[in-house]
Amino acid sequence: MFATSRRFVIGLAASGVIVTCPLLAHDFWLEPSAFRLEPGASVELRLRVGEHFVGDALPRHPAMLAQFIAAGPAGMRPVRGQDGKDPAGVFNVEQPGLVVVGYRSRHSFVEQKPEKFDAYLVEEGLDRIAAVRATQKQPTGLVRELFSRCAKALLVAGPGAGSGHDRLLGFTLELVPEKNPYLMRAGGALPVRLLYEGQPLAGALIVAMNRADPSTKVRARSGVDGRVSLGLSRDGAWLIKAVHMIPAAAGSGAHWESLWASLTFELAGPPAMRSAKKPRP
Amino acid sequence: MIRGRGLLPLVACLALTSVLSAHEIGSTRVAIWISADRYRVEIVTDAQGLADKLAAASKAPPGAALGAPEARGFEERLRERVTLALDGVPVDPDVSYVVSSAARDIASVVTIQLTGPLPARARTLEWTFGWTYAGYSLTVHRPDRGQPSVTWLNGGESSSPIDLTGAVPVDSRFQVAARYLRLGFTHIVPYGLDHVLFVLGIFLLARQFRPLLMQVTAFTVAHSITLALSIFGVVAIRPSVVEPLIAVSIAYVAIENLLVRTLKPWRIGVVFVFGLLHGLGFAGVLQELGLPRSELLTAVVTFNLGVEAGQLAVIGAAFLLVGVWFGHRSWYRRRVVVPGSALIACVGLYWTIERLT
Repeated sequence: MFATSRRFVIGLAASGVIVTCPLLAHDFWLEPSAFRLEPGASVELRLRVGEHFVGDALPRHPAMLAQFIAAGPAGMRPVRGQDGKDPAGVFNVEQPGLVVVGYRSRHSFVEQKPEKFDAYLVEEGLDRIAAVRATQKQPTGLVRELFSRCAKALLVAGPGAGSGHDRLLGFTLELVPEKNPYLMRAGGALPVRLLYEGQPLAGALIVAMNRADPSTKVRARSGVDGRVSLGLSRDGAWLIKAVHMIPAAAGSGAHWESLWASLTFELAGPPAMRSAKKPRP
Repeated sequence: MIRGRGLLPLVACLALTSVLSAHEIGSTRVAIWISADRYRVEIVTDAQGLADKLAAASKAPPGAALGAPEARGFEERLRERVTLALDGVPVDPDVSYVVSSAARDIASVVTIQLTGPLPARARTLEWTFGWTYAGYSLTVHRPDRGQPSVTWLNGGESSSPIDLTGAVPVDSRFQVAARYLRLGFTHIVPYGLDHVLFVLGIFLLARQFRPLLMQVTAFTVAHSITLALSIFGVVAIRPSVVEPLIAVSIAYVAIENLLVRTLKPWRIGVVFVFGLLHGLGFAGVLQELGLPRSELLTAVVTFNLGVEAGQLAVIGAAFLLVGVWFGHRSWYRRRVVVPGSALIACVGLYWTIERLT
């Protein structure tokens, strides 16, 4: 019944350390069954946790869900779904135009060893927190962290649409595209703004990756106005993410609180090559 | 031992190792079965998701299916983020997997089994699974504990050491024999109502000792053959085939009891064939109970003896309660054999339908 088994020798560290490859902070994003839809079509939305744009689907969990909404030409509507089910959300796009889908989670709780926590700060570009930890005397023992998710996906119904890409959902940490990516093509630059509690967040690391080549990252730090411009070279699905960390509120039982914003959308291919040669001078 | 190819990922992994507590719960499930001298781990996870993660880890484009030619090296890559350690020392399990095909609304699921021996000296088992980013449930089944224990772990997080002391008894041959003798007996009385009815069907036809002995002997020889062949891996027939046929055999002997008055020559042959089927059923049960590798033959033989004792107990009880008092009466067939056989036939037919659906 089972495929035949073969034995392999595991590569073990000479020190006898157990080889595990758990990954630090995991990204979180919304994955629609399609980014481009016909008006009247229904779209399934998966919650994904993972890294390099590859992850596990999370079933809809009422205790974890704070907000699951879709803002389109017809206004703001809740995204419905069945508890315990994957995909976590389903909705119908009725009118042509851009739809911003958003999922905001409640807090989760994480504990890790200080050295792992510091490695994670470096990985996520949380330099300010790393600097604070370096200068202040830190409590010994595990570092406790609260985290929550603010994931968005930008979908389009119908031909192309004009505006609505910068519609705000009012998430605590929110990535806002300042140009409609469905009017762009691969090779263009997408201006993106990062807002924390509605205000521009400066100095945050914003990372973009493409589905077809997720290990190649486009990285930029937000300016004083919370803006970055990301050169998106490839067509297909893109994930843009940003992490923000603050000291946890007193009485929360945690040392730090992190917020994870993400934005997914799809980019069209470059314009077809024109056969005409360069005009002669 | 560090192999050149594996060094870079190893260093990267160690640098990134972290432990997160579980809240974002995905659809992966892991269960560990601890038996007297084996462990078995079963990972059930989304097949395409795992294939994509394995592909991403080797920088291959996503979309390849598990089991497809592109998925060659599946085991090596799987092992990169799976660790099973006994007393802190990683061991090297046998890996097998099966992919269930996707049904409507249900994504295809891969079931991965990791198995290996548990030495008697092993005191703890630690489990780490890094091929999920979401939280997952770890269920531990131990033979010496009633309820399995369930904990939630994050991908990459090591379980706390699972205590094996007490779960891995070092049994003598005598202890194994006593345990499997008892298991064999209780598999007939009280747990094996289907086998009990079959034996009663045999009993009802034969009023004299000789035909009873001939049928019981044929049945015993037959089920001993298939039990042994099945346990030692010579034959394998799925329970979904065997179980309905066992129900058919019960109905058959009871219906024949209604149609004939004496033991016909073919009856012995029929009982023998049905004995072969019941032996396969016993083997299935014995596999589920688990077998001590060190005392496999002892366990199989004593289990079979226990089954035999159970059957003889049923016949003995029937003989003492009914046969000895009423067996010679003129109304014995009318009032005992016919209604008894009719009842057994009905139950057998009912089970046949139930087990087929």
